[in-house]
Amino acid sequence: MKATNFKVVSRLAGDVAVVYPQGYLNNLAGESLVKECNSYLSRGVRKVVLNFSGTDFINSIGISLLLHIMEGLQEGGGTLCFTNLSKVHRDTFEMLGLTDHMLVFGDEDEAFRHLDAGSGT
Amino acid sequence: MTIEIKRALYNISALADLGQEITSEKDFSDKIQSVLYVIMGTFLANRGAIFWYEKDKGKIIPLARKGFDAKGAPKLRIRLGHVLPMKKNEPYSLVEGQGTAAFRRFRDGAVQTGAEIFVPLWVRDEFIGLIVLSNKFTSQPYSPEDFELLKVIANQIAITINHHMLFMDLSHQLEENRRLYEEMRRIYHDTIQAFAAAIDAKDVYTKNHSQRVAKYSVAIARELGWEESDVEGIYIAGFLHDVGKLIISNELLNKREALTDKELLELRRHPAISYRILSKIKFPWKNVVKMVKHHHERLDGTGYPGALMAEDLDEGVKILTLADSFDAMTSVRAYRDKMALLDALVEVKRCLDTQFDGKIVAAFCRVLEKEIKGDLPEPNILPHLDNDFDPSVITGLLEALIRELKD
Repeated sequence: MKATNFKVVSRLAGDVAVVYPQGYLNNLAGESLVKECNSYLSRGVRKVVLNFSGTDFINSIGISLLLHIMEGLQEGGGTLCFTNLSKVHRDTFEMLGLTDHMLVFGDEDEAFRHLDAGSGT
Repeated sequence: MTIEIKRALYNISALADLGQEITSEKDFSDKIQSVLYVIMGTFLANRGAIFWYEKDKGKIIPLARKGFDAKGAPKLRIRLGHVLPMKKNEPYSLVEGQGTAAFRRFRDGAVQTGAEIFVPLWVRDEFIGLIVLSNKFTSQPYSPEDFELLKVIANQIAITINHHMLFMDLSHQLEENRRLYEEMRRIYHDTIQAFAAAIDAKDVYTKNHSQRVAKYSVAIARELGWEESDVEGIYIAGFLHDVGKLIISNELLNKREALTDKELLELRRHPAISYRILSKIKFPWKNVVKMVKHHHERLDGTGYPGALMAEDLDEGVKILTLADSFDAMTSVRAYRDKMALLDALVEVKRCLDTQFDGKIVAAFCRVLEKEIKGDLPEPNILPHLDNDFDPSVITGLLEALIRELKD
């Protein structure tokens, strides 16, 4: 099992939380990513951008954790944008049929433009 | 690459994830939680749980769950009777399942909680628990391929949980055995101590003598680096070394006047009698009976009962001899007053190589010096000695003796 120290960094840009999972999203340490997103939701932040530029590896555990985040945002009436996904990750999400339920952008700017335009999920 | 191949590769990698988690050295609850995430991530299930059937209590309890424990959500309650009719380690779709009216009621309740798939976990003929999954996040139905993969996963998880529970059972049993052993050991020690008190009570001058000999012997043996099980053996030997005195008359043991030759011979029978009494007992420690039998031997071969020479005497015998003699010197006897510590040490030095072994005396001096200096948290010798000595004088003598014996 690939294992690196997984950590989550985030920032608030206006009414958008930008969350950066860093390291391999492949074990229980990834629960901190779910917690981070939930904490923004509980503070009333309804727009979340997940920037995957620092994430090289996502396995089935990581997918499961991302589903929790996606469901949490859905139930909370929020919008979740995925950015900076590698081709491998994008292909995996597509193969699993998840991209039909995700907002995927090349980078943060694209995601912000979408969110500024007031689009929902 | 076709989507089918991509999906197959993803499934293979999920199986690899499962294997990694199952064989990891994680805490069991973390391991099961990780395994649950692997399954949920593989099948894109929103909710999932892994249950264990606690056979002793007849209850099905969750080991890991996600989504089924939401506040205010209907609780997922499963009874053995609901699961037993399902095929072993095979996914069962609640949505499609049929059955009796009672089963349909259970099924409808389970579906309300979001449960969609049950996989009963079995190892041979033993029910272990079950996996419960919700529908998929993507709302796609579970495919026949999904069911095949779930069967493989279920087999692995059933074995993992079963192994862990067997290990836990063994650990509990081991812990219980250890507790019982400690209890028996304590009872054994208490019995021996009570027995020793009975021996010492025969002679008004030897109250607690056996206990002190046991403690002094332990102190010397530890200083010599003995294994703890051997230390325990000499502790027991110390308590029982005078058991043969039970046969000697009270009049003789408490006689104030000098003993006649015949009386001396009678008194000197006690180590051999001790041997006869104790040799019937199978002690779990080495040499207890031997140490007791020979604790009145001397290095010069003038001791009893065997008149053995130094080379025939084990270290344990030599330790017990010194501990017994030193306590006799520093205690009141029917025929004399107790010796001061300084005088007793001078006497020990005088009897070096005739009665006492230099290596044992050196160890005794070292441990006594440490106790006087307060270097040992639980002293074994000092608490039993009168405290009317000058520590600097005694430590000076001890250091000189240690130096002399080193040379």
